[in-house]
Amino acid sequence: MEKEILEHGLNFNRRRFLSSMSLGIGGVALGSLLMPNLFDGTGAEEGLAPGIPHFAPKAKRVIYLFQNGAPSQQELFDYKPKLRDLFGQEIPPSVRGTQRLTGMTANQASFPLVGSFVDFKQYGESRAWISDLMPYTSKIVDDICIIKSMYTEAINHDPALTFLQTGSQQGNRPSMGSWLSYGLGNENKNLPSFTVLLSRGVGNGQGVYSKLWSNGFLDSVHQGVQFSKGEDPVLYLRDPEGMNRTDRRDMLDNISQLNDLSYQEFGDPEITAKVKQYEMAYRMQTAVPEVMDLSKESDDIIKLYGPDCLVPGTFAANCLLARKLSENGVRFVQLYHQGWDQHGNLPFEIAKQAKDVDQASAALITDLKQRGLLDETLVIWGGEFGRTSYTQGKLTTDNYGRDHHPRCFTIWMAGGGIKPGIVYGETDELGYNIASNPVHVHDFQATVLHQLGLNHEKLIFKHLGRRYRLTDVSGKVVNDIIS
Amino acid sequence: MIHIRLKRFAEQILFASNIFIAFLLLFENKLVIPPWLQTIGRMHPLILHFPIVILLLAMIMEFFRFRTENSGNTFYRNYSQNLLLVGSLFAAVTVTMGLFLSREEGYSGETLIWHKWTGAALFFIASLIYLLRNKSWYKAATAKAAALMTVVALVLTGHYGAAITHGENFIFEPVSSQKEMAAMPLEKAEVFKDVIKPIFEQKCVSCHNPDKMKGELVLTDSKSILKGGKTGKLFVPGNPSLSLLLKRIHLSVDDKKHMPPIGKTQLTAEEITLLALWVKENAGFSKKVIALPATDSLRIFAVARLKPVIKQEEVFDFAAADEETIKKLNNDYRTVSEVARESPALSVNIYNRSAFNASQLDELEEVKKQIVSLNLNKMPVKDSELNRISKFENLRKLDLNFTDITAKGLKELTSLKYLYSLALSGTKINFKDLEAVIPAFKNLKTISVWDTGLSSSELEKLQKANAKINFIGGFKDDGKKPLKLNIPQIKNSSTIFSQTIPLQLKHPIKGVDIRFTTNGLEPDSINSPVFDGKTILSQNTTIKAKAFKTGWLSSDVVTFDFFRSAYKPDSVNLLFPLDRVHQAEGAKTFFNSKLGVIGANNPAWANNWAAVKENDMTLVCEFKKPVPISSVGLHYMIEEDTGIFPPELVEIWGGSNPKQLKLLTKITAALPSKWDKPSLKSVEGKFKTETVTYLKIVAKPLKKMPKWHRDKDKKALLLIDEMFLN
Repeated sequence: MEKEILEHGLNFNRRRFLSSMSLGIGGVALGSLLMPNLFDGTGAEEGLAPGIPHFAPKAKRVIYLFQNGAPSQQELFDYKPKLRDLFGQEIPPSVRGTQRLTGMTANQASFPLVGSFVDFKQYGESRAWISDLMPYTSKIVDDICIIKSMYTEAINHDPALTFLQTGSQQGNRPSMGSWLSYGLGNENKNLPSFTVLLSRGVGNGQGVYSKLWSNGFLDSVHQGVQFSKGEDPVLYLRDPEGMNRTDRRDMLDNISQLNDLSYQEFGDPEITAKVKQYEMAYRMQTAVPEVMDLSKESDDIIKLYGPDCLVPGTFAANCLLARKLSENGVRFVQLYHQGWDQHGNLPFEIAKQAKDVDQASAALITDLKQRGLLDETLVIWGGEFGRTSYTQGKLTTDNYGRDHHPRCFTIWMAGGGIKPGIVYGETDELGYNIASNPVHVHDFQATVLHQLGLNHEKLIFKHLGRRYRLTDVSGKVVNDIIS
Repeated sequence: MIHIRLKRFAEQILFASNIFIAFLLLFENKLVIPPWLQTIGRMHPLILHFPIVILLLAMIMEFFRFRTENSGNTFYRNYSQNLLLVGSLFAAVTVTMGLFLSREEGYSGETLIWHKWTGAALFFIASLIYLLRNKSWYKAATAKAAALMTVVALVLTGHYGAAITHGENFIFEPVSSQKEMAAMPLEKAEVFKDVIKPIFEQKCVSCHNPDKMKGELVLTDSKSILKGGKTGKLFVPGNPSLSLLLKRIHLSVDDKKHMPPIGKTQLTAEEITLLALWVKENAGFSKKVIALPATDSLRIFAVARLKPVIKQEEVFDFAAADEETIKKLNNDYRTVSEVARESPALSVNIYNRSAFNASQLDELEEVKKQIVSLNLNKMPVKDSELNRISKFENLRKLDLNFTDITAKGLKELTSLKYLYSLALSGTKINFKDLEAVIPAFKNLKTISVWDTGLSSSELEKLQKANAKINFIGGFKDDGKKPLKLNIPQIKNSSTIFSQTIPLQLKHPIKGVDIRFTTNGLEPDSINSPVFDGKTILSQNTTIKAKAFKTGWLSSDVVTFDFFRSAYKPDSVNLLFPLDRVHQAEGAKTFFNSKLGVIGANNPAWANNWAAVKENDMTLVCEFKKPVPISSVGLHYMIEEDTGIFPPELVEIWGGSNPKQLKLLTKITAALPSKWDKPSLKSVEGKFKTETVTYLKIVAKPLKKMPKWHRDKDKKALLLIDEMFLN
């Protein structure tokens, strides 16, 4: 045995050491060429403590006007005259490629192309093409950045929606709003930093569910708070009849003492989170009614957003509320407007959907601008994927439908340091594939975080032994659309 | 003593050179350089580095020559003397060659003149120093001055020479050229000025400039570019195949005529494409990038090239505040937060109007230097409190929207020299005072003055007078394009009532007149009654209502159906099951006063409709006390497209013994036609009043859909949400 140890020692002599080390160092050196920041010590691995932006932000707040169900880009923003010329002709296999199709059209015998039933015109200094379905949006083209080259990985609503909101198709991660709440903290301690507003259009709808505004593995104070229409915008916020503010205060003080005791015993951070939430709910009891009160809005505001803004639960009302919440320091206001899933009867439905959202979406931009808030508020408008250039179901001269299409779709962004008045990215002549400047969902998320002063590679939460990011393991900031 | 003779000889040569060069300079214009001399002239760039180095060294020695340790040193003395001699001789050769070279075509312009005269001056100074440096009056001070003068001449000559060869701003070009590109937003960018010209500037202009017109070609301005060079015109717009420019850049690199010449920085593939497209599309010299069609190749390439460099973050020169202080200043209604990690700047937001107190501003004294952004939106801030804000000397952004300030008070803020964004929307500022105070804000970039009572002409005046500031006026309704009102709403919790019901209509917009009819006609703005809350309904009524208000277009008509249902059974039992999908509230569905709607997206569609298809909808209602019944109504949906049809037949049975019920009436409903829109209908069967304890209703779904339907002969679905007993 001793002999073997000695032999081993002899085997591992100086010469051997040097020769094997040279290989090792060579390997490391080569590695550093491939990964430039391998030895920086500031690699992407380690996150930064939450609560403060990593660098000076352009935007302080986000309002996300989510168009749930996937609005058809061909009828709204992505002008494709060629599709009209090729009405009824089969989509060339070279264009369609081997794309995975949904169960709804996978077995379709033919895939005839169909152009937009509605005309487009160019507007503003940017000369962006906007369809006649969006007369109000056409007036704000010089304030928005239209991205025509978004693409995603999912082909059905729930995974696509979850992917866009949480960076993963499976719904167990924190939503974008939760990440921002975690990364930036509260601006107004009397309101939650992440709120959710729902509305429903007349078109074919798809569900939205609270998992979309879940805090995932983050602290529960970062969960989205849904504000609903009706008398109690935030459920269970109102004091029961007969209870006055002093009683409530006493009760909270006593409960907080009890909670302190149990925190000292168990040390569960959720206990302190709960105490904080009670305190915030107490302050929200005065702050929320003030924000939700639309009776003091001026005539100009009502005419700007359209009369529906006074009808609770409409998209217009939610846009107006979004502005009020944002103005009051809510970091992330998430709207969902359902009804964009036009598999069939598209011309009829999309016209109504567009009418529902057009005026209020444009009004929100104008309203933020006239309060000097647009430069610090990032507004996002768009759905979870696009729609196909070929028809789903029967094609007639005045009616058709479009199936889900992940390869390209259009969104727009405004304010918050995004370049105004530009159109970014292009699709091919048939509006089926991206021709230039593709923007992946993770790129989009990285850009949103960047505008809020967060490095998407450093906004990290360690959970179950893994470091998680909103952008998972990819994503590049789209510098071209940043002013 | 050979080296002394050599030295004498060299000195004589130097003297001769002085005269020769003076001669060359005097008669420069008359010189004709034969080709063999041109070769010598072209060696100028080769030789010029010798005099630079040697003279530099000689001048350093000259500078320190009179130090005691040096002046006594023979070697130092001889060495410096010889070095200066050699350097001056090299300078003579270089100047001569340079003068020859300058006579060649392609060299002219101001830079050349400067280079020539500084170079000549350098040579003369060096010679003079050599001549005079051993005179008795030549002391330390003179030596130092002479050395400095020579070095300055040397640097200037070298600089101008380099500018001729490499182009001006050669050294700083990599840094500065990109910055220029970044400053150009896409919407303002021009194809030539911002895309094509920079390519010329980076890769061509160092030879093709007015100072050094290689091939008689100048690429610095549009006129010269159109003019072309010795070989001819550069290009024919719109015809790339005739373009000399494209030919030269496309030649193989080792071709003598390839441009840029071998050894110089080459054009990238992208730049070549851009030049080719520019010629091909005849984009000219003033076209804007965005004027090109969106899918145009030139535009796509140009846009890619106009990529901006991300702006640097603003660097603040003040120290950060103490973390504990910041923490202390944060409370429920005031947020003090760091703008970013490692930034000393702070941003402050104050909320809750009722809790506002000006002392919240005073408490910020400790961080007054660090505050760059302050949000007082909707706080009751008064003019008298603005002096507290003026203490925040580094403030950049101030939000005073909907505060109680006036334009008079703004005077206090003019001392904020960094303030660039000021929000004054919804305040009581007036034109006169604002006009007076605005010019005092030196750094202001944007000011929002929406909802302030400033008229649009006043706003225009302000904008004109202060062109550097962006005045944001915002939306003001001019009444030219009135909007359509939305429809009136109903406040009654249900439109089903037992005896009477007060009609309750409402509208979200204040001051709206709701006019309505009960006769099924559309309400008009003159004859139809205005809703005043005093209408009481006592029987089935169809209300049609419409909203009116001046300044608005009237709303669409809305219809509300009111149904009287005098009796509610005490219990209801279904004898056969409901359709699996449409269960609603089971047997309770039919008398719960909840109506369904059309449209599968609405919860009232999913929750309020009970359906049958395979069997009859048969329910037995029981009353604890006998009731006199004279009619039964059913409310149902028609949507032929999805196979939802009215009942084929409804039988109403009644009596006091459940085993022996009497058929009271049979009801049939009208069938829809093809393409009928989905609708909600009701049907009523009347009969002679019968006092009943039990009532059996049998509604039979349509067994065979009509021939015109795509599912002809199949069973139809029957959807019922409510029944009315009177």
